Amino acid sequence: MTFFFMALGEVLQASNLLILAASVVVGLVTGAIPGLTVNMAVALAVPLTLSMSPVASIMMLLGLYCSGVYGGSVSAILLNAPGTPASAATSLDGYPLAKQGRAGLALKVAILASVIGGLFSVLLLILVAPGLAEIALRFGPVELAGLLLFSLALVALVSGADPMKAMFATGLGVLMSSVGSDPMLGTPRFIFGINDFYDGIPFIPLLIGLFAVSEMLFAAEYWFRNRDKPLDFSKQRRTNRLDWAEARRIFLPVLSGSVIGSFVGMLPGLGASVSSFLSYSVAQKTSRHSDEFGKGAIEGVASAEAANNAVTGSAMIPLLALAIPGDSVTAILLGALMIQGVAPGPMIFSTAPDMVYTIYLALLLANLFIAVLALVAIRPLTLVLRIPQVYLYPVILVMCVAGSYVLRSSGWDVATMFAGGILGYMLRRMSVPLAPLLIAFILAAPFEEAMRQGLTMSRGNPGVFFSNPISLGFVLVTVAMVAGSAFMNKGKAV
Amino acid sequence: MNCFMKTVGTLCLTLGIAATPAAAWEPEKPIEIVVGFSAGGGTDVMARTLATAAQDSFPVPLVIVNRAGASGVSAAEYVARQPADGYTLLVTGGSESTSVPKHREVGYDISEDFQGILRAVRMRIVLLVREDSDIASVEDLVAQAKEAPGEIVYASSGAGSLYHSTMLAFGDEAGIDLAHVPFKGGAETMVALLGGHVDVALASPDEAQRQIEAGKVRALAVTSDDRFPGLPDVPTLQEVGYDVYLDNMKGLSAPAGLPEDIYQYLNSRFAEAVKSDEFIDLAEKSGLEISYLDGPAFDAQIAKMSKAIGKALD
Repeated sequence: MTFFFMALGEVLQASNLLILAASVVVGLVTGAIPGLTVNMAVALAVPLTLSMSPVASIMMLLGLYCSGVYGGSVSAILLNAPGTPASAATSLDGYPLAKQGRAGLALKVAILASVIGGLFSVLLLILVAPGLAEIALRFGPVELAGLLLFSLALVALVSGADPMKAMFATGLGVLMSSVGSDPMLGTPRFIFGINDFYDGIPFIPLLIGLFAVSEMLFAAEYWFRNRDKPLDFSKQRRTNRLDWAEARRIFLPVLSGSVIGSFVGMLPGLGASVSSFLSYSVAQKTSRHSDEFGKGAIEGVASAEAANNAVTGSAMIPLLALAIPGDSVTAILLGALMIQGVAPGPMIFSTAPDMVYTIYLALLLANLFIAVLALVAIRPLTLVLRIPQVYLYPVILVMCVAGSYVLRSSGWDVATMFAGGILGYMLRRMSVPLAPLLIAFILAAPFEEAMRQGLTMSRGNPGVFFSNPISLGFVLVTVAMVAGSAFMNKGKAV
Repeated sequence: MNCFMKTVGTLCLTLGIAATPAAAWEPEKPIEIVVGFSAGGGTDVMARTLATAAQDSFPVPLVIVNRAGASGVSAAEYVARQPADGYTLLVTGGSESTSVPKHREVGYDISEDFQGILRAVRMRIVLLVREDSDIASVEDLVAQAKEAPGEIVYASSGAGSLYHSTMLAFGDEAGIDLAHVPFKGGAETMVALLGGHVDVALASPDEAQRQIEAGKVRALAVTSDDRFPGLPDVPTLQEVGYDVYLDNMKGLSAPAGLPEDIYQYLNSRFAEAVKSDEFIDLAEKSGLEISYLDGPAFDAQIAKMSKAIGKALD
């Protein structure tokens, strides 16, 4: 306990709190700008920490991390331009809400869900980190394959309007994810001799194209047909108020999102985008308002935001307990902590308990700071929507191009962004839903990889997926879910 | 006043010109250091620290450019196309230099299109098993693999990576066949080993050290030509009778055909930076082992390891 008070004393020093507040602001802005990712913000901050105390640098890096993941939701809701891949699921319902003049409500829901998700996972980290880390280790390729099979089936069942169109979008997503090097052998697939394709279709430029650029193309079309008309910005405060009816609607999605996000976050290699889409699908599947999803359901925003922020705390579980980073941001954090002389790993709880408490407190405080700052910022942020699109969109487009380029200094990625924009425009014109395409694109590659890793480990025997208890559990649930859904739809068949 | 300034100015100019040897090369625009991996990774941190340590002795900014992709191959292909004028450098010595070109076709030839400036660090490769594994030594591993060919599963950090090639080279030398499961990187490799999903894994000392200290994994061998000071009890593969010597190295190379004075200029300044307190301190904390070689010696090491990997793959 003395260590706890030592850490508390350090963390509450004015200079450290100021650093945390500043990094939360920087993280929010970075997260909100499409293409500028959390990874980049944290990576660029590492050299700054070299001359700082361990406590100050932990607070700076964790502040950036947590607020960056949240910040993505702001532009996802207001501009249909997800600032980070993890907030793509947020824009599926957040932007339709903004179009209805309920951007304020969507932002409030996003903040509430993010902070609850974040705090939930930090509490898990504090209470049961070492035990959970052991569970995370049980998830090898075979178990992951089971989990991802379940997730893919869930996506297929969560089709919006037209099942055929949803299936087409899912298939296209799987096809697009298979471009690039074969995960087991490294041989090129579907690259047509273009080496830029070797790493597959880059996700962030594709995402910016599908959402933000296609939105601009729509706006351009609308402008040519009619006249420029800014989005309806509702002046009625009532539609933007978060009252009890809304709070009750988002209670379950936030809870399930927190649990799913915390679970996915501690498994290495999946990360925040998988967790937010998985949580979104679960929320849609279990919601009584499932037909509203994609058209502006607050449950969609709540489930996605709770899940992607729950990753921030739980990704620290394997990092602290095993010195194994749960995603690419925590990998950078690991390096930064080691430079500070803090060595995560099984021994850290006995060798540096003060640092462990510092990390806990920094995460808790970061989430509280996000809540305060974001709430203050809602009103000024929604003013963005009053700017006429002819002025707003060129600025965003420049940011999108810069964001796509800067990740890998690659012109190819910018081309991908524009191609994604045209694809997104065409798909939406044909009212093909984008959600299944994206979910399939994200899930198919890890599923293939896990399945083939599992098959290599079992010397090609597919029985391994049925003899492993965890994997068998997922397979059974999947079968039950598909059968149940088919049975329920039998009467409805045309 | 004006006259005074002019005099001082002329004096400075004269002295400046006189003090500079006629042939010496001086950079006139920023120097790009291209990193083939994303920001924040081990290679990136090494490059940034080296650049920070060297910056004071350069009159122009040293700019780190991340061109991540295809295990560093995208960046190498880009730099190979740049002019040999000393303004574009590449971080080399790892998978993109010695391993990937032996597995698939790439748009450059590491020994013809590049020339080394210096090697800054080396990262050993450690062969690991779980603490409770019944494989106690390299001899055990070879014996069990001979008994059941293809039954022992090992994890590497990717198809065609240096770790993958290292195991292939060892398998070739020992006459054994192991099943390969590639993962996305060091973290997932360690999870697979700790969780009991694979039997053997390859990792760098900084990834393995904590697990070894915590008694969760055991090191069977290192693949370098001498023992790793951080693990003094672990033998090298050469000591136990297998002629394998592969290291993950990190240094700088430039497009081939660099004039000698530019090479001298770059080499001397970066060599100085490698010896600086700042670099030594960071290397120690991030588990990097400083191991300086000049350009030609670095090239020779890359060529030697490429050849060894090529031989194993044939």
